[in-house]
Amino acid sequence: MAARTLFIEGPAGVGKTTYALRHIRDLLAQGTGPETMLVLVPQRALGRPYQAAFTAPDWPGGAQIDVVTLGGLARRGLETFWPLVAKQAGFAHPEWEPIFLTIETAQYYMARFVNTAIRTGVFDSLNLEPAHIMRQTLDNLSKAAVNSFPLDEVADRLIAAWGDRHSSRPPVYRASLDVAQEFRDYCLETSFLDFSFQIELYIKFLLNEPLYRVYFTQRYRHLIGDNLEENFPVVGDFIRWAWDDLDSALLLYDTDAGYRVFLGADPGGMYELKELCADTQVWRDPVNTSPVMVALTGDLAVLLDPGREKPVQPDVNPLEGLVYESFRFYPEMIDWVVDSIAGLVDSGVPPREIVVLAPFLGDALRFGLSTRLNERGIETVSHRPSRALRDEPAARAILTLMALAHPEWSYRPPVDDVTHALQETIDGLDPVRAWLLTQIVYRPSRDDLGSFDIIKSDIQQRITFQVGERYHRLREWLLEYGSGAERFPPDHFLSRLFGDVLAQPGYSFHTNLDAGRVVAELVESGRKFRQTISMYHDVEDWSAVLYEYFSLAHQGMLAALYVASWRDEEKDAVFLAPAYTFLMRNRRVDYQFWLDAGSDYWWERLEQPLTHPYVLTRSYPPDQNWTDDLEFAARRDALCRLVTGLVRRCNRTIYISISNLGISGYEQRGPLLRAFQQLVQRYPAPGGLRS
Amino acid sequence: MLPANFQFSQSNLQDYVDCPRRFQLRHFQAQAWPGVQAEPVLEYERHLERGARFHRLIERHQLGMDSAMLAATVAGDAELSAWWRDYLHFDYLHDLPGRRYPEFSLSVEIAGARLVAMYDLLVVVSGERVVIFDWKTYHREPSRQWFLARLQTRVYPFVLVSSGTGLSGGNLLPEQVSMVYWVAAAPLEPVVFDYNSKRLAVDCDYLSGLIREILTLGDGSAWSMTADESRCRFCEYRSLCDRGVYPGLLENISNIDDNIAGSVGFSVLGGVGEVGF
Repeated sequence: MAARTLFIEGPAGVGKTTYALRHIRDLLAQGTGPETMLVLVPQRALGRPYQAAFTAPDWPGGAQIDVVTLGGLARRGLETFWPLVAKQAGFAHPEWEPIFLTIETAQYYMARFVNTAIRTGVFDSLNLEPAHIMRQTLDNLSKAAVNSFPLDEVADRLIAAWGDRHSSRPPVYRASLDVAQEFRDYCLETSFLDFSFQIELYIKFLLNEPLYRVYFTQRYRHLIGDNLEENFPVVGDFIRWAWDDLDSALLLYDTDAGYRVFLGADPGGMYELKELCADTQVWRDPVNTSPVMVALTGDLAVLLDPGREKPVQPDVNPLEGLVYESFRFYPEMIDWVVDSIAGLVDSGVPPREIVVLAPFLGDALRFGLSTRLNERGIETVSHRPSRALRDEPAARAILTLMALAHPEWSYRPPVDDVTHALQETIDGLDPVRAWLLTQIVYRPSRDDLGSFDIIKSDIQQRITFQVGERYHRLREWLLEYGSGAERFPPDHFLSRLFGDVLAQPGYSFHTNLDAGRVVAELVESGRKFRQTISMYHDVEDWSAVLYEYFSLAHQGMLAALYVASWRDEEKDAVFLAPAYTFLMRNRRVDYQFWLDAGSDYWWERLEQPLTHPYVLTRSYPPDQNWTDDLEFAARRDALCRLVTGLVRRCNRTIYISISNLGISGYEQRGPLLRAFQQLVQRYPAPGGLRS
Repeated sequence: MLPANFQFSQSNLQDYVDCPRRFQLRHFQAQAWPGVQAEPVLEYERHLERGARFHRLIERHQLGMDSAMLAATVAGDAELSAWWRDYLHFDYLHDLPGRRYPEFSLSVEIAGARLVAMYDLLVVVSGERVVIFDWKTYHREPSRQWFLARLQTRVYPFVLVSSGTGLSGGNLLPEQVSMVYWVAAAPLEPVVFDYNSKRLAVDCDYLSGLIREILTLGDGSAWSMTADESRCRFCEYRSLCDRGVYPGLLENISNIDDNIAGSVGFSVLGGVGEVGF
């Protein structure tokens, strides 16, 4: 057992991470080697306070302290110790290095098996897109890995939870798991490792490898585990595996959190790690939190989940922390949000201290808010993790040019896409002229773009000869490339088109840094895709690979990574994000705007008929039916955690905006709204409250 | 103002010395720009991948994995197998007693910033000395003078001595440190640099001055571009800087890794993970 072990539990804002950093400094002051410390976090974003401290100039010199997730640790371990694992895990070519699949490449390979299964009709009883079947089947693999369930147990649990509703579903669960098994067999043939396989191999094989144990125990003597509650069950297994050889351990648990349950987190199971620790402490008093917010947290928690015990809280009116406004229509609500933010900024509030949160952040909402705020001179940054890369204008333009360069493909871009591509890439080409040019030079029924030279001279003059010359160079490049297309993998095509033409003077990407970022993401995804396919096979003709990549991107299966958005978040800009995304940033701000509080989306979970976040956890009885009561309780608990988590991360005021009619025109009265209405009735209205 | 969590390294300092504008774009602004760096691209990539595999192979060996098992993993690659055999005959390393720290990183505070070094291998003979090993998979052996001029030759020993690491069982004197470059093109002739107090003082002044100079530069305007435009042919930003259209050819440069691979980073967990080879 670790000699010095401490478990601290408490809500966000009581100073747990600050204490952990002090604990690390104390260890360093005692002469402990920094390389012997391991900081384990459930998600990279939650390691940022540690990274920031360790890279600050005033941090003591020496070895770097590892800040890791279990996924990162597994990947690094497998990369390094692969020869010890490959053979015993049953890989067909243990001499091959592992190929780590991205989400996109995993979906690409999974699609082969899913599409074959769909053709047999086995998924006919579900009204579900193939992409959703793919994602949920991969999700089942992940749930199996993070719980150490065999695949059969996943099917058994889903079938038991389904109960006797109707008989069509159990065969579908079985089919999904059969597809998952086929995918896994293919990974064994090809040395492919998706996320779930990495976790499984690490837990099942590498942790049992004596050389790895020697390496790990010599290297790491001190464990700091933060945000334990957001971890998968296998993280608990890992901590128990390491425990006896540690010299010290500090485990931190956020009592109100557990936001990643839908991804497989197991707050209850992680809480049991408390029993390992010699010392335990409960911290309740928030540091630097206003009494109003403390009171608001307590009241909302009890209103949303009446079974909760009301905490002792300060004698203040929680409504002092709220501004509350109700509208009949959605656009009026957006107007109010924009006006209120502008008012705050005008009064000297830094935009960085304002966040706008919604249960889901669709493109229209994101675009509308950004545009309106930008018009007021207020910068915004947004994060929507599921946004497709092809939705970025620069990506859409270059993908259209890719299609135009390959007339042999059956796909012909629509005229509007070609107009957009030319307007987006040729400097000086406005929308009207771009439309005119496209109408003349492009016919979806033709093989290639027409020449500028064939256009009547008066039209040439309207388009301008300068633009014509730029169009000519672009067209020539596409034609010349087309004559040797088989020589270029997708990333090379994109890089060359960008570097040879679009980033040169006369084209709009020349100094367009944002376009550079987007195309760089596209190139990077293309490179990974191509490397996965060609790692152990020589490819003479890249045409098929290029088309496959284009199809993936065009179908929206490549997600925008927003690598730069981490930098963007450091900007002095209003942050627009889904509520859970903001929570997992673990940031505190002065002002929060909650959009559309009447919406049921605040408490609904994603419809996922092939998987189940609650049933596929160790703590759920394997043979128990999932009832409506359990669903209601789970939603209530999730909403309560979400809301209390948000309030704890607000320093001053929460603006609640309500639209009686939702974006689709239906009347809304979700549980979050009802809780606010009860709260408002319970306390006298303070001066600042509007309702 | 540099980005949060920014750390100086031999790689990004070399970028600054080679071209301040490249440093500004690559590190200060973290500006992705997907220009081709060198032709033929696939050959360039294969070389980088082979170099990365060689580093991994040595790391595995230094962690105690069986050499026969490791040899089997590279049997299909003649060049990698040859490097591996040469490495196994590198008696200078294998005869050296002491604890091995493969792929190990250290950092220090300097001039109000952090400077990090990621070592291919440190061999610590407790209480006696520490030897830094760095693997270079060059096809041609550079001169000793070339190595001497590289930032890596300054940064690595400096960080090791200055970090006050307890690896060697006490304070480490500069005279106890040496740096060894093993070059695939000349495996029997490692390039060795012994460190000393005078060198430490010179490096401290030089690196402090360089970092201070960078820290005084603001982001309001474009930083100066290199006067040596031949470098631009191997830089992904050349279109942004109006310094040409097409990339240079690999065959026209001698040490492709250090000349153009400065941006190749393997960041597993958000730490600094440059592969310099």
